[in-house]
Amino acid sequence: MSRKFAPVLLVAILLISLFAGCKKEPETIKIGLEVPLTGDYAYEGQGMEKAVRLLVEQVNEQGGLLGRQVELIVEDDAGDPTQAALVAQRLVDAGVVAVIGAYNSTATEPASEIYNEAGILHITPSSTATRLTQKGFQRFFRVCFLDDRQGLFAAKFMKEVLGAQNIAILHDNSTYAQGLAEHTKRYAEEMGLNVVFFDAINPDDTDFTPILTNIASAAPDAVYFTGYHPQGGLLLKQSGELGLDLQWVMGNACNNPELIQIAGLENAVGTYVTTEPLPKDLDYPEAKEYVAAFEAKYGEPVASVWWLMAAEAFNVIRYAIEQTESTDPAVLAEFLHNEAKDIPGLTGPILGWDEKGDRLGTIHVAYVIDENGNFILNPEQPSP
Amino acid sequence: MTALRERLQKVNPLWWQLGLLVLAILFPLPLGDYHRSVLWRTGLYIILGLSLNIIVGYAGLFQLGHAAFYALGAYTTALLNIHFGVPILLTLPVAILVGAVFGYLITRPILHLRGDYLCIVTIAFGEVVRLALVNNIFGITGGANGLSGIERPVLFGLVLRQPIYHYYLVLFFLVFTIFAVRRLENSRLGRAWMYIREDEVAAEAMGIDTVRVKLLAFIIGSGWAALAGSLYAAKITVVSPDQAKFLESVIMFCIVVLGGTGSIPGVFVGTLGMVTLPELSRALKDWRDAWLGLAMVTMMIARPEGLWPSRRIRMEIRAAKEEASVAPAAGN
Amino acid sequence: MQFLQQLVNGITIGAFYALVALGYTMVYGVLKLINFAHGDLFMWGAYLGLTGLTVALAALGYTTPWAILPVVIFVMTSVALMGVLVERIAYRPLRSAGRLAPVISALGVAFILESLARNVYGASWKTYPQGLTPSGGLVLAGGVRVSLMQIIVLVASFLLMAGLYLFVHRTRVGTAMRAVSLDHDVSRLMGVDVDRIIMIVFLIGPGLGGVAGLIVALYYGSFDFTLGWIFGLKAFIAAILGGIGNIPGAMLGGMLLGIIETLGAGYMSPQWKDVIAYIILILILIFRPTGLLGERVAEKL
Repeated sequence: MSRKFAPVLLVAILLISLFAGCKKEPETIKIGLEVPLTGDYAYEGQGMEKAVRLLVEQVNEQGGLLGRQVELIVEDDAGDPTQAALVAQRLVDAGVVAVIGAYNSTATEPASEIYNEAGILHITPSSTATRLTQKGFQRFFRVCFLDDRQGLFAAKFMKEVLGAQNIAILHDNSTYAQGLAEHTKRYAEEMGLNVVFFDAINPDDTDFTPILTNIASAAPDAVYFTGYHPQGGLLLKQSGELGLDLQWVMGNACNNPELIQIAGLENAVGTYVTTEPLPKDLDYPEAKEYVAAFEAKYGEPVASVWWLMAAEAFNVIRYAIEQTESTDPAVLAEFLHNEAKDIPGLTGPILGWDEKGDRLGTIHVAYVIDENGNFILNPEQPSP
Repeated sequence: MTALRERLQKVNPLWWQLGLLVLAILFPLPLGDYHRSVLWRTGLYIILGLSLNIIVGYAGLFQLGHAAFYALGAYTTALLNIHFGVPILLTLPVAILVGAVFGYLITRPILHLRGDYLCIVTIAFGEVVRLALVNNIFGITGGANGLSGIERPVLFGLVLRQPIYHYYLVLFFLVFTIFAVRRLENSRLGRAWMYIREDEVAAEAMGIDTVRVKLLAFIIGSGWAALAGSLYAAKITVVSPDQAKFLESVIMFCIVVLGGTGSIPGVFVGTLGMVTLPELSRALKDWRDAWLGLAMVTMMIARPEGLWPSRRIRMEIRAAKEEASVAPAAGN
Repeated sequence: MQFLQQLVNGITIGAFYALVALGYTMVYGVLKLINFAHGDLFMWGAYLGLTGLTVALAALGYTTPWAILPVVIFVMTSVALMGVLVERIAYRPLRSAGRLAPVISALGVAFILESLARNVYGASWKTYPQGLTPSGGLVLAGGVRVSLMQIIVLVASFLLMAGLYLFVHRTRVGTAMRAVSLDHDVSRLMGVDVDRIIMIVFLIGPGLGGVAGLIVALYYGSFDFTLGWIFGLKAFIAAILGGIGNIPGAMLGGMLLGIIETLGAGYMSPQWKDVIAYIILILILIFRPTGLLGERVAEKL
């Protein structure tokens, strides 16, 4: 009987070893992009892919990097940690030099472990959870800013611009939102504000009237919601319909035109959003040029700041490769840590990174939603 | 399938079992890390499927919240390792214990429920566990983001980092599970489960303590699912409430039902269909939920015994069908 | 004041649960089947309503509440047809296959319907056209606010439920329905066409569910593909709470669940709202499986 099986086994092993042998010298420079193309954050992920692809095409038209073409390998992590670990492995197998991703901190975390072990340069465009850079990974960087800085900004904004004394803070239990809420609470209390309400919603819910009624009875001068825009929109809508007199301030995950659609314009007017500046308001020639090229190619504006951040991450990788004339992740990481200063970024000059890989400086601003449903820069901003 | 099955049965089982084991050991060697990870995942879900099979397949109890125990195991490992520095491999027995204890506590009050009601209550329990993890219960579960910073397992001084090591770790437990499950199947307890599944009243009349025997199915199955959760935590190093999602429970349930309830090879077939194929094929991934659903509906209608059924169950179902076609269909 | 306001909030959401719970209860009445697909049929009501409204507004070219009427009819008929189709394909072949096979089949249908919606309409949040629903409301004594939309929702739900109650208790078809829910064989002997009655149940239940989907989407203004599962599960809990198979029970259960959940969310924390609902379900099933209004059925299986 074993005679029958032995040849099958042998053939199987031979076949498998065949396609293991076909590794060849890389001619292109492979850059990975790990974003959610499906799932809850698909809107952001798909835009991030467009944003990066545009830059890759531009680079390749100009002859590539170090005379080599750039190949972008896109993987979908669906915003899910298990999926992120699998596709990260796939990018490592593909032999990428650097990876841009992931969108949400929950997906970035397990992937960063894998990239770190594989020794790949990893830049996240949008994962702002503080703890990601606490692990001492030498090749992990962010081009976005920490939740901690946004929390400081939000607390200052509510105190100095809105003149609030009693504030309410609401999150949705996600890493990002909870982190931002806690940082804001800490800074607000340090500044002498009273946090009269601090709680979380369940993001699976559609009816928030119970908690809105509770917030209203705590009578805060301002309410800071740190979660994502679908729930943000519903909160504004139901708050308006209940006729509550609440001054809403939203975190940067609500920086999305859909917020107004969901809330309805009359409920959204006058809401503030603390965020990185929108692409249209970036007053740098690099930004303006990029935004124009994006609109020309895709026929739509750069709607989200995270799309631009993804492009920025690619921009940083390109800059590092050009400056060091190397594609060795170790060299690139060394360069970013120690030598990279004042890089002409799409989101303004990049001052550099600290030893943990966090981007220096801050660019948060406050927007307000006007009568026409546009996010406009609030004329009054807190002191820097 | 049946033809293949019958041919395989003629071969001395020891030979092809050994052959399969050798193949399982050699198979990942020429593959890249991604495909090794897919194999790891396949092995993990086979263990989960086998653990659920004890509850659903052997004892005939419908558990649609199995993922809760998978998550409990993962959280146990994460908490012990992060807060007390317990080495990963030493957390495995504790995880099994935690899974088993929770399995007992949760199922004790609901054992008397009828099939479809039991099914609903298990869904509710699964969701309660998930929401408790999301809501950072007792301030220890880390909320929606879960826990991170789990160390790598160390075995005889070797740090298990690469996917291939994790694959072999899972393979080791898989082989052990299969061995244990087969012993269980033919034990007194195993036969008691089958009696209960076939006719609970008759089993009780024969002197089987049905409550105890059903509880044991839940305890063993839950503990084993928790072990799989620990193995997950060891590789991914992050645990999150997503592991307790209802979808995960449904995937595990489908693995058992699709392959054939009560059948060990059936669990392999089910895992290939429910986990491995959707992972390897992008198109199937977008439509995975529909694929799950379609499998459930068609299997119930066309082949309730599953793709690779256990012989015992197949005979039962055939007998039941004949009975049904003889007697006019009962209304309710 | 806060308590009364929470009560108003709870009654509104309770009305939604009750509307959807009716579908579970009717199907359970005649088939003893937990129709898991009902929640997703309800969700399809919201999606088809979006398509219908978009077309209606484009064709009629104006934005008045009257554009909603043809859409209501469109949604009701198409979801009802989906319901009948689901019964034909996924439940009828299993009518003599015990109680669990149809439940699993129903769960399968739920997954198919959800996946279809996600792949056809996309995973992002969908918003209904603005300005269709009236704004404004009343302020009652003590500052309790009831919005106009809440009143409309309550009145519409009450009318639908009352209509259904009268239909089941005052018409021949309704009587036949009640007969079928007691015993298929005896009903058949009495000359009731059981298959036809089951078909009618699968027209009415999902038809109502579809309209409920439209009303929910109009009320909240936005939704995504997870709507069906969450509302479906809650409505199912409501049906169990009131006594499954019992129409007034579904109404009572819906209202009670809405109120309990809202008060729980208001006085404890909204994070635990769903947990409260699940715990109610578990307790009811353990201690009083027939629900509050259900008849005691001596059953052993």
